[in-house]
Amino acid sequence: MEFLDLLAWMKVGDVATLSIILLLVMFFLLAIGMPLGFASAFLAVLVLIMKFGPDLLFSRFGHGPLSVVGQAVYRQMTNYVLISVPLFIFMAALLERSGIARDMYSSLNVWLSRTRGGIAIVTSIMAVIMAAMSGIIGGEVVLLGLIALPQMLRLGYNQNLAIGTICASGSLGTMIPPSIVLIFYGLVTETSIKALFTAAFLPGFILATFFILYILIRTNLNPSLAPLPEEEPDAPKGLEKALLFIGFLSRFALWLTGFLLLRALFFTVTGENAVREGVDPIALGMVSDIPYIAGAGAIALALMLFLVGKERSRLGWEMGKGLVPPTVVIGVVLGSIYMGITGITEAAGMGVVAVFVIGLLRREMTFEIVWDSLMRTLKSTGTIIWVTIGAASLAAAYTLSGGPTYVANTIISAELPTMGIILVMMLIFLMMGMFMDWIGIVLLIMPVFLPIVLKLPVEEIGFLGGLDPKFVAVWFGVVFCMNMQVSFLSPPFGPAAFYLKSVAPPHITLTAIFRGFLPFIALQLLALSVLLIWPSIVTLFL
Amino acid sequence: MNSESLWLGGMRRPVRLAMLVFIGATLLLYAWLVVNALLFEDAIDMFDMIRPKGRFVVLAMLASLAGAILLASIYFSDTRGAIEQEADGFFDIVSLVTSRLSMIMVACIVLVMLYEVVSRYVFARPTLWANELSLWIAGFLFLFAGQYAMQQRSHIRIYVIYDMMPRWMQKTADVLSLNLLLFFTFALVWGGYSDAMRRMMRLETFGTAWDPPLPGTLKPAILIIILLVTIQAVSNLIADWNKEPEHHSPADEIDETEIDKIRKTLGT
Repeated sequence: MEFLDLLAWMKVGDVATLSIILLLVMFFLLAIGMPLGFASAFLAVLVLIMKFGPDLLFSRFGHGPLSVVGQAVYRQMTNYVLISVPLFIFMAALLERSGIARDMYSSLNVWLSRTRGGIAIVTSIMAVIMAAMSGIIGGEVVLLGLIALPQMLRLGYNQNLAIGTICASGSLGTMIPPSIVLIFYGLVTETSIKALFTAAFLPGFILATFFILYILIRTNLNPSLAPLPEEEPDAPKGLEKALLFIGFLSRFALWLTGFLLLRALFFTVTGENAVREGVDPIALGMVSDIPYIAGAGAIALALMLFLVGKERSRLGWEMGKGLVPPTVVIGVVLGSIYMGITGITEAAGMGVVAVFVIGLLRREMTFEIVWDSLMRTLKSTGTIIWVTIGAASLAAAYTLSGGPTYVANTIISAELPTMGIILVMMLIFLMMGMFMDWIGIVLLIMPVFLPIVLKLPVEEIGFLGGLDPKFVAVWFGVVFCMNMQVSFLSPPFGPAAFYLKSVAPPHITLTAIFRGFLPFIALQLLALSVLLIWPSIVTLFL
Repeated sequence: MNSESLWLGGMRRPVRLAMLVFIGATLLLYAWLVVNALLFEDAIDMFDMIRPKGRFVVLAMLASLAGAILLASIYFSDTRGAIEQEADGFFDIVSLVTSRLSMIMVACIVLVMLYEVVSRYVFARPTLWANELSLWIAGFLFLFAGQYAMQQRSHIRIYVIYDMMPRWMQKTADVLSLNLLLFFTFALVWGGYSDAMRRMMRLETFGTAWDPPLPGTLKPAILIIILLVTIQAVSNLIADWNKEPEHHSPADEIDETEIDKIRKTLGT
């Protein structure tokens, strides 16, 4: 092993030099088009060489600090939460190939067809519902582009408004739980994913509300942007429609309470909901809940029979039943997580089962669809997980060399204004988001950024309302997620634009699509600044 | 599934037949095990399944299950999916077989989870093995997924500068990337070999109630499958060497056939 001595110069004692070399080599490797995961994996080895010197690493085969790389990979491979990633992708792929989205669109459209900008609003609402079903984007934009875009263009909607609505709302998938971005953020930073989901709800809805308000205000100021469809003579209107809607709701409530009642009775029969010390009560499944459930059911029944009338409620049900399957899927996924039934991973698994069963009931599921979906799942999983493998190795090696602590201490000791540091971070996220996938950003940047944020004086974060110190990591995760919302739309590589381009009529160019995004990017930045100015909005439900 | 054969050719029908036989045998054995488990207290359970100790039924079950999954992977690797790249490298077939294997694994994880949730919440009898089994399967799934992504050239890369380079420079960059990957694999094996070998020899277990030999299998698998990924990378470089430069955009992620199929479901 004489020649190893010749390479002894490769050892760099000082963390600062090491970090700078790391950064430069990283830029170089990404520039020459090396896959992100493998580039970081190689850099992990490079960091170890710089830290320990080639002598120590390669002197004995099978031993030495190089084993941390294998260890880091193994830790990722045996991470239970990571299993939820392929499952969520699988579920979204199945969902895409079922007619659930189309039926949901027609059901929503019935109620809002006479409102100014109705289809755009329907698109946003539908996007929120789909976002609550699955945690990834792409499929959503494609579906909305196929379903809503032709309708809006046919009615003569303003093209920019139509495009922006579809892509901005379609990107909500990773903002509203379940969200794959938050899952990865939670994994990298060891933050509770459930807390992240809860915290992201409100900001996600605020963003969606901004979109809808924008549509309403613009179309009402300038009605030519969103012409109303021809009135159908026999379509119900006004009060009649409201009654139909109440009929639908009460019938739906009846089903729901019936199900909950059976569930509670089942638990009572099996004795599983007996009140025990130290055991959390089953949500809506205890004996004491039964009267309330039954009461709610009775109210719904009374509404249906006396206010709406039987015939009308049947009609309302026919018009609205496209909303039922999505509600069931959301109930299964989010219900499992929040009612304490299962963890994230099993919730994702149950989501797959729910979509599959609904598909079977609708007689749409075929072996071909399942197989195609599995293929897409595997492809996406491979790309995402292998960035994780590389980045985990790099993070392990860099932490071993003391990098993150060094960077955090340097920045803290510079005594810069707290919000200044955060704003610079936001800028870095936005800039990187223009060129890099969110997964690379969360895995490579977060291990460096979050320690800095955690060391910042918490009382200086935000301008209105304080932030509980133990929720800083959660807050930063939601802020990061909002940044990534922008990255889906930001030129030149905003993926939403490319997804829409693939389904839009040929005369809509990529430039036109990005132009349509501008007001919506502004809305996203507005929502981001709300989170920065008033951080406690995130922890409201925690 | 009547499309063109990728590599099996005349062997396709026999493989299909063998697959069906093995699946049938697995189902029969499974039914036998379930009936036994319902009738007898000391029937073979999941604990015995990973500790055969010469019991014939367990060995037969494991063998037929392995055979069924393997043959199914081989059979399905013979058809190219609509979203897949053409297989033209020397190593592509291996990656396609492992990809089919892991696609089946995804479905298995879903089934295992369904089983666990149903037995825990409906029958109030949680299993000891479901979590660990899905963890075990997923470890292999994640690793094989990378091999598949490599074969499909779908690993995340940044093409902004790469696309601007002339072809000879792209080739240089590719060779450099490949060498760095080779170096990483070399370093990984160098550092992890003893650890992985030791655990594999002892078939080190997870230290839980069901106690599967998870570290003992997964640790060596990490080294082996990363090696396979590297071989696939070499195969890709050779296969792509004389191809024309492509222009990359995020639109590559989207497949026309897939969109047509979605369109058909939507009836537009």
